[in-house]
Amino acid sequence: MPASPAKPGGPLLTADGMPLKTSLERSLKLSKIRALGLIFPPLLFLVILFVIPIGSLLTRSIDDGLSNKVLPKTLAAFERWDKTSEPDESMFEAVYLDMKAADKLDLSKLGTRMNYEKSGWRSLVKITMRGLNGIDGPPYKPSMLQLNKRWGDIEFWQSLGAMKDPVTLGYYLKAVDLKYDGNKNIMRVKKHNRIYQMLWWRTFLVSIIVTVGCLILAYPVAHLLANLPLRLSNLLMICVLMPFWTSLLVRIVSWMVMLQQNGVVNDSLVSLGMLHDENRLSMMYNFTGTVIVMTQILLPFMILPIYSVMKTIPLSYMKAAQNLGATPALAFIKVYMPQTIPGVGAGCILVFIVAIGYYITPELVGGKDGRLIGNLIAYHMQNSLNWGLASAMGAILLIAILTLYWVYDKLVGVDNMKMG
Amino acid sequence: MMRNCVLTTVFSTVVAVGMLGTAQAEINVVTWGGAYAVSQQKAYGDTWKGEKINWINYNGGLGEIRTQVESGAVTWDVVDVLPDQVRTGCDEGLFEPLDRGMFVPAPDGTPMDEDTMNKVPNNCVAPNIFWSYLAFYEEGTFKGEHPSTIADFFDVEKFPGKRGIHTWPNALIEMALLADGVPIDRIYEVMRTDKGIDRAFAKLDQIKDHAVFWSAGSKPIELVKSGETSMALAYNGRVGAAVLNEGEKLVPIWDGQVVEEEWWVVMKGAPNAEAAKKFLVHATAPEQQAAQAKWINYGPMRKSALDLIKANEPWHNSGVNIMPYMPTREEVLPRSIFADPAWWADYGGEISERYTSWMSQ
Repeated sequence: MPASPAKPGGPLLTADGMPLKTSLERSLKLSKIRALGLIFPPLLFLVILFVIPIGSLLTRSIDDGLSNKVLPKTLAAFERWDKTSEPDESMFEAVYLDMKAADKLDLSKLGTRMNYEKSGWRSLVKITMRGLNGIDGPPYKPSMLQLNKRWGDIEFWQSLGAMKDPVTLGYYLKAVDLKYDGNKNIMRVKKHNRIYQMLWWRTFLVSIIVTVGCLILAYPVAHLLANLPLRLSNLLMICVLMPFWTSLLVRIVSWMVMLQQNGVVNDSLVSLGMLHDENRLSMMYNFTGTVIVMTQILLPFMILPIYSVMKTIPLSYMKAAQNLGATPALAFIKVYMPQTIPGVGAGCILVFIVAIGYYITPELVGGKDGRLIGNLIAYHMQNSLNWGLASAMGAILLIAILTLYWVYDKLVGVDNMKMG
Repeated sequence: MMRNCVLTTVFSTVVAVGMLGTAQAEINVVTWGGAYAVSQQKAYGDTWKGEKINWINYNGGLGEIRTQVESGAVTWDVVDVLPDQVRTGCDEGLFEPLDRGMFVPAPDGTPMDEDTMNKVPNNCVAPNIFWSYLAFYEEGTFKGEHPSTIADFFDVEKFPGKRGIHTWPNALIEMALLADGVPIDRIYEVMRTDKGIDRAFAKLDQIKDHAVFWSAGSKPIELVKSGETSMALAYNGRVGAAVLNEGEKLVPIWDGQVVEEEWWVVMKGAPNAEAAKKFLVHATAPEQQAAQAKWINYGPMRKSALDLIKANEPWHNSGVNIMPYMPTREEVLPRSIFADPAWWADYGGEISERYTSWMSQ
């Protein structure tokens, strides 16, 4: 039977009698599902490798739920306390009851967490856990003081204030050398223990110096690469790429050989008489070493984007400018350089972002004052197990990079950026 | 249909057996690299008749261990861990408790836990070795008097030249206080006070302008050999290896060495826990503990193993006596500090911050 034509005034029908609108929707839906199916693997990849880890990083950096779970009575008693007088029996009773009821594993973990607020909590919790069964009924205060005299130290009690809320900004404060006191007022940490502000500043400084250093070194090289005859430029390209392909460790170790106190550079300077044997330069295991080695390692990240942009700039523009009366220098600055901005921008962003989170080079050549924030993050992940603090520092780093990206977008425009 | 079913069964059996095979055939043992790992492979691995052992290197720390246990994807079986981490890890439930009765007693019948030279901190651990931080110099560096105490290490006027020290505070605080005249048995008592820590840093200030900081264990040997520093602190095993295996003329200063423990543990939820435990029973037996010292001068934790070495000198594989290089021999014990992991677990974080700040000012 041939398909009936649409009745006048009725909906348009397809050959099998279905309204055209529905049929269209259906086929569109199918192709949408197919498209979704196609992007599903990368989507899954994004979710598993970016969304979930970054989400868990952000939650870990503010999560402080354990203390509320394990010590509810203690924290309630803490709220009633005036924070200055000697803790009374009711507070000791609360601690005793909480610890008695707590899961052993949770309590141990909490001990580690409490130790971040005041050194000594860890062993105090442990000793008390062990001695808990020896306490038979009230009054609890004397027996707990007998277990360990630190229970009489008011500073331990006051440090509970920083842990009383299930969501905390404490790790972020710690990441910039601040902390909560017992009343949750923000204050600076002890002078001797201030390291993070200095490290942030140093990390930022190293990244800036490395970026500028890379730019100064990369610009002429990229220009040469883009303008030499093919045979020569290929050779030069290999010279740029060779170190890029060489193992990072090999490059770092060769810099050690070059720059250390009894290394090639110092030895040559001494034997040439330019340097006295006793005044050998310290260029390794410090700030200088970190900057030099990082600059060399990150150089290709700057050369390649600039080169790829320079390659597309026709030589005729420079010639035209000179025809119109510009000197070569002026033509270079006014006509050539502005056209390289997309490459320069991309290179700078790339180098800066890689530099700000750099870890392995500063770890190996940083020595006394060349280690960066990335090294501290690794330390807190691997050794101190203070994952909250590590996460907070990671989050700050993330925010810094996003801000930078935003500023770049406002100033230069991200659309302008050319990675190669 | 039938055929299909048979095929599926055969296939899944093969897969299951295959998985069973891999699960049973191998133990993943995670330890530090270098000469130390080689000594363990020779002493514990080559003498082990059971499952195949995969030796894996790591750089210490509980980070990876905690990640594996918390995510439930445990791939390691046995791990070689540092003293404060063994305590934190056991408290946090990252390690499997070990049945103390399964271990081999000493030849005279003493149970293993009483055969160790130190107190066993918890029931997660199996004994491994002692190592130490110590000062050393190269023969011929100093004309006239030679440095012989830890106080000499801190005395840059009497013994000029730079000092190689590490980028973390462990052992340095103890050494500084000992050099400053604190009696050896009161060091940790002093370290529990703010004044004591200030005193240690004041002592460290005396060598700060002369300090070269290292972070890789091979570095101090290079620093001293190249003459960049006149003395350095190092792991005793590195100094021993340079002398015993490479014939370097390095002189260790045993006075004021800081002795650290090293333990074995089994990961919580280890894929091959039973075999791992059997392997540890083997590796902690006195003969195996002693055999390890054939290859490196780290002190076995078990007294009976040390006795075995003493009775059978020359014990080192090169044919020399190993006892003069042992950090735990009786002659050096009175002036050795046994590091207190409980102190470091409590104050380590705070002291690291202060040390980092001190180092970069």
